[in-house]
Amino acid sequence: MRLACDTGGTFTDLVVEDGNEIRLFKASTTPDDPVRGVLNALALAAEHYGEEQRSFLGKAEMFIHGTTRAINAILTGNTARTAFLTTEGHPDVLVIREGGRIEPFNFTVPYPEPYVPRRLTFEVPERIEANGTVRKPLDEAAVIAIAEKLKALKVEAVGVCLLWSIVNGEHEKRVGDLLAKHLPGVPVTLSHELNPTLREYRRASATVIDASLKPLMFQYLDSLTNRLREAGFTGRTLMVTSGGGIMDAEAVARAPIHSINSGPAMAPVAGRYYSDRDFDGLAAIVADTGGTTYDVSLVRDGRIPWTRETWIGQRFRGHMTGFPSVDVKSIGAGGGSIAWVDDGGLLRVGPQSAGSTPGPVSYGKGGAEPTVTDCSLILGYIDPDFFLGGTMVLDRAAAATALKTKVADKLGLSVEEAAAAVFTLATEKMVGAIDEITVNQGIDPATAVLIGGGGAAGLNAVAVGRRLGCAGVLIPEAGSVLSAAGALMSDVSSDYAQMLFTTSRRFAFDEVNGVLAGLEERCRVFAQGPGAGALKVTVEFSVEARYAHQIWEIEVPMASGRLDSPADLEALKQAFHDTHQSIFEINDPGSDIEFVTWRAKVQCQLREGGTGQLPIQKADGAALERRDIYFSRTGWVDAEVVRFESMPSGAPVAGPAIIESSFTTVVVDPDTNAVRTQGGGLRITFQ
Amino acid sequence: MKSESLDDKKQAAGMTRTGVRMAIISNRMESIARKMQNTLFRTARSGVLNTAHDFSCVILTADCELLASAESLPIHTLIGPDLMCQAVRKYHPEMKAGDCFLHNSPYEGDSHAADHCLIVPVVDEDGVVRFFVLAKAHQADCGNSKPTTYMGQAADVYEEGALIFSAAKIQSEYKDNQDLIRMCRTRIRVPEQWWGDYLATLGAVRIGERELLQLGREVGWEALEDYADGWFDYSEQKMIQAIQRLPSGKATVHSAHDPLPGVPDGIPVKVTVNVDSVEGRISVDLRDNVDCQPCGLNLSEGCARTAAMIGIYNGLIDHGVPPNAGSFRRIQVDLRENCVVGIPRHPYSCSVATTNLADRVSTPVQRAIAEIAPGFGMAETGPIMPPAMGVISGRDPRTGEAFVNQIFLGITGGAGTPVTDGFLTIIHAGNAGLCRQDSIEVDELHHPLFVSERRLIPDTEGAGKFRGAPSIYAEFGPIEDCTMQVIYTADGTVNPALGARSGGPGGNSKAFKRELDGTLTSLPACHGAMLEPGEFIVSHSAGGGGYGSPVERDPERVLSDLREGLITAERARTVYGLVTTGADAVGPLAVDRSATQAMRASLKAQERSA
Repeated sequence: MRLACDTGGTFTDLVVEDGNEIRLFKASTTPDDPVRGVLNALALAAEHYGEEQRSFLGKAEMFIHGTTRAINAILTGNTARTAFLTTEGHPDVLVIREGGRIEPFNFTVPYPEPYVPRRLTFEVPERIEANGTVRKPLDEAAVIAIAEKLKALKVEAVGVCLLWSIVNGEHEKRVGDLLAKHLPGVPVTLSHELNPTLREYRRASATVIDASLKPLMFQYLDSLTNRLREAGFTGRTLMVTSGGGIMDAEAVARAPIHSINSGPAMAPVAGRYYSDRDFDGLAAIVADTGGTTYDVSLVRDGRIPWTRETWIGQRFRGHMTGFPSVDVKSIGAGGGSIAWVDDGGLLRVGPQSAGSTPGPVSYGKGGAEPTVTDCSLILGYIDPDFFLGGTMVLDRAAAATALKTKVADKLGLSVEEAAAAVFTLATEKMVGAIDEITVNQGIDPATAVLIGGGGAAGLNAVAVGRRLGCAGVLIPEAGSVLSAAGALMSDVSSDYAQMLFTTSRRFAFDEVNGVLAGLEERCRVFAQGPGAGALKVTVEFSVEARYAHQIWEIEVPMASGRLDSPADLEALKQAFHDTHQSIFEINDPGSDIEFVTWRAKVQCQLREGGTGQLPIQKADGAALERRDIYFSRTGWVDAEVVRFESMPSGAPVAGPAIIESSFTTVVVDPDTNAVRTQGGGLRITFQ
Repeated sequence: MKSESLDDKKQAAGMTRTGVRMAIISNRMESIARKMQNTLFRTARSGVLNTAHDFSCVILTADCELLASAESLPIHTLIGPDLMCQAVRKYHPEMKAGDCFLHNSPYEGDSHAADHCLIVPVVDEDGVVRFFVLAKAHQADCGNSKPTTYMGQAADVYEEGALIFSAAKIQSEYKDNQDLIRMCRTRIRVPEQWWGDYLATLGAVRIGERELLQLGREVGWEALEDYADGWFDYSEQKMIQAIQRLPSGKATVHSAHDPLPGVPDGIPVKVTVNVDSVEGRISVDLRDNVDCQPCGLNLSEGCARTAAMIGIYNGLIDHGVPPNAGSFRRIQVDLRENCVVGIPRHPYSCSVATTNLADRVSTPVQRAIAEIAPGFGMAETGPIMPPAMGVISGRDPRTGEAFVNQIFLGITGGAGTPVTDGFLTIIHAGNAGLCRQDSIEVDELHHPLFVSERRLIPDTEGAGKFRGAPSIYAEFGPIEDCTMQVIYTADGTVNPALGARSGGPGGNSKAFKRELDGTLTSLPACHGAMLEPGEFIVSHSAGGGGYGSPVERDPERVLSDLREGLITAERARTVYGLVTTGADAVGPLAVDRSATQAMRASLKAQERSA
């Protein structure tokens, strides 16, 4: 038995995989002590299986965990007091950043503060050149003097990022040794070890963020593993990573930046599996709808796209993690997004959100601003008495009153017209977010399936899919807990990179093969350590390359881990031209190609064939339900209401209809058909 | 002209409903412009585009009115795209799907010759032009007589030397006109780099065209026209509301560009701003200024109008006003023919029109608004372009190949505003911080360049209640076996960015050469420096002016600047009137409230008696 648990902002999701069956559970997140929420979810599961928690946990061999702990610590400023050590002459790497700004005429937003203040930044006398040559040797006495100052300043963590350490890491390593000796007990992160990537700002940013998380993530993971053990768990504790893989909890404690984007990163892993199972492996647009954010990612040819430009907070206003991460685009649109009318009479949705507290008006927890969730109640999409399986009763009248005064009256619309307009606008924002990421990755939505994850996904997934012109929409049976489900499908994996610049005209075969051999060896060590006992081990090589004079590399998969002949190089060049064409619609076969960073990814597969299925329940024989729902195209229509849990596979449901489960509601628009697949998901296609 | 029946239909639908539809379509329009930008950024070859992001993508109506610009550089986009589309219409009354026009004439709407624009008419199935899409990209080289795209010293367009294209049809039926391609390849330095950038820009306009055609098919062309009208009306209303928050008033403010070759006394600029709060209108008069000058600084008409408007949009402190042809209706900019900040007369050169003198129009406008309306306007933004923003060229000893490119190694300049400190990396007024700053590692990898130092300079911020951005120091030079030329055109070495409402001036920009023996030699403000291996150039960017009196600055903010090393203890005390207790080394440094109050009172008294 394996357990996957994802602690989100509102809910703690748990998936129990027992043999070939899965079961879903949801508990409230407990922000003051998140481990308690985890234990509560486990208690719900134990109860369902009719067992004592101790014996239930005793059967589990693996506990896979995703958490927003690290990201929340950063957003609330509760990280360690961290110092930044940089190359002499360059103290303002974290201040200058890479420039850039949004909203040219918005001067109400100040310039962002550096992640580490200047007064905790120290210049190390040394300099390495672009080709790795030491231009100025490291002044060790100066480093020791800095260590003394850090001690006096009661610094709790140190990030070290020196220029060109990615080409020659000797100076950084030596600084690490000296700090270990002269500043014992204070965690240190070295940039070339953590994130060997070009561009000093993003590498330094990743380094100091990682260092600043070390004390608290060590403590959190220590508490989690201890309390799980006390509760009876004897298996292995793993953490999901921003890279869409899983790592042992101890490894994450040593490099906690891996856990920053851990929740959203799992959605595409799950999406890949479901698209393969239920939609013939079409390219998948995976959309995870939360209370405040809408996260979009893509899967094409079974590959999950990566980005180096992950931001904490808004682009250019927050901090770039600079860490390779699954490419997930987040926009502020969700069930909690507030609908309002601006002073020019224009309808707006968000960016303000009611969050989970006070929440939508209909929650009756003090929320006064109408939200998207309130509108779905007004339109009849959500049954006020059957929200989350009836665990929470919603106030539809209050929602309608709020929407009337705040939106409908100002626009001269009826309440349901206004609610439908809010939905259309929210849909449009989501479509805009998807459009942007599909352009960046070069995917035509018409050839893709939209996968709706998150409890609120089903409310407008069909509308979003129709507007994008997608081939279809899929709501997986575990869609409401997509990240936790993805965690069960993940491999234990690690990613290694080394920079070596060479070009197609003067290709350095020997040096490249040397680098590749080094990467392969590190993969082998990993496979024999954390990956021991895997069903299957795969090592994939790739290179980040670009045309001469371009600056943004694209990742090109390599056929093997060596380039032995000119023919191998020709094949690699062709793969680059093809990849460029497929992403940007153009290529330039006459141009020289520059190869920059070489990568190897080792994946140790723990389980065959994704994850288990949600068993289909027998229909309880209750009378067929119907209710009125509203679409702007049709007005109020009488619609069939179907229980998802008892829907047999293969039997179609024609829209307009509502398909409800304890965790989610799917609105099936007019002129669309829904059918439950053999695998158990809900497949929706357009007429 | 719209038919009556359409108006009737609009009436019947109820004007308020357009609020819903408009919101939806304007989201679509903005995301189309963003798609165009993403394509260009990720595929361009030159650093000025793919690192510095010096380009813009916009959508215009069929009557050449600016509709959507996503996040484009203000100086590129407010006025100019409209004038260029008008030029295309004038010379090509018949346009077909598949046409694309290359335009960079500063005498017909373009900002300056280095900004190559590709303009595509969006033609529907019936052959009707429905929209224009335009992508403007600053070239790494445009065939000037010297390897720089900013020819500050050029006496005229002939000495400037750029290839000038006036609505030249570079594509018909989606195929390149090879005659023009060969012209560019023969004249522009590092032609492969230009060709790659052309492809990237073409990709952007073609994607914009494709998306608009799809949108038209989806919602109908009449509905889109209707949308544009409604969106312009909405934007105009937002503009009226924003202007009406200001009091009425008139102010004349003077500014001046530093002396440089061709204009040994510099160029004085006089702007008169008139705010009519009752009518909701703002006007700027630039006519009382000198004639065009024998240098590359003359503004193009697009830049003259836009520069004045940037000062206005900056000064309103309301980013809810969409900057498009609708809100433009409430602005009047009076220009004069053959004026250095007006409508240029051929063959005067406009090579540097987007930056130096344009900022000398924008910044006094925003300062004038501050003088008319407390709580609005801004101080002056730091002038550019110091050596760290110059164009470098030479031959790379590592490959034997020639290189030419503009670098962005450290430019600051943000002006203090009524609500925030100056944005550190604003670059200059017309840029609004949208361009990026170069990574040292990327520059050292790409060019035979070594950057020895880059850091903020203390005490260079324009002091104020909200201070300006400090200057930045950058020092760089060629690697071994390389001789490198750095061409730059710096303003702000004599005339700093002034503060507003008792705020102080920002630090001056400076340029030095570090000789082989380590000594520094001062360099001219407008110069082409030849650097041998071991020699370095030193660049100080200009700081931004401050807004409001420094003795009104929140003492905690002064303390924070002191602790962060942005200001010295001496300046904290004498300029900001901050008195502290403790010291970071021995205990917490803190504000001494009562002593600070007393110190500030005496500074105020001194100010009054002075």
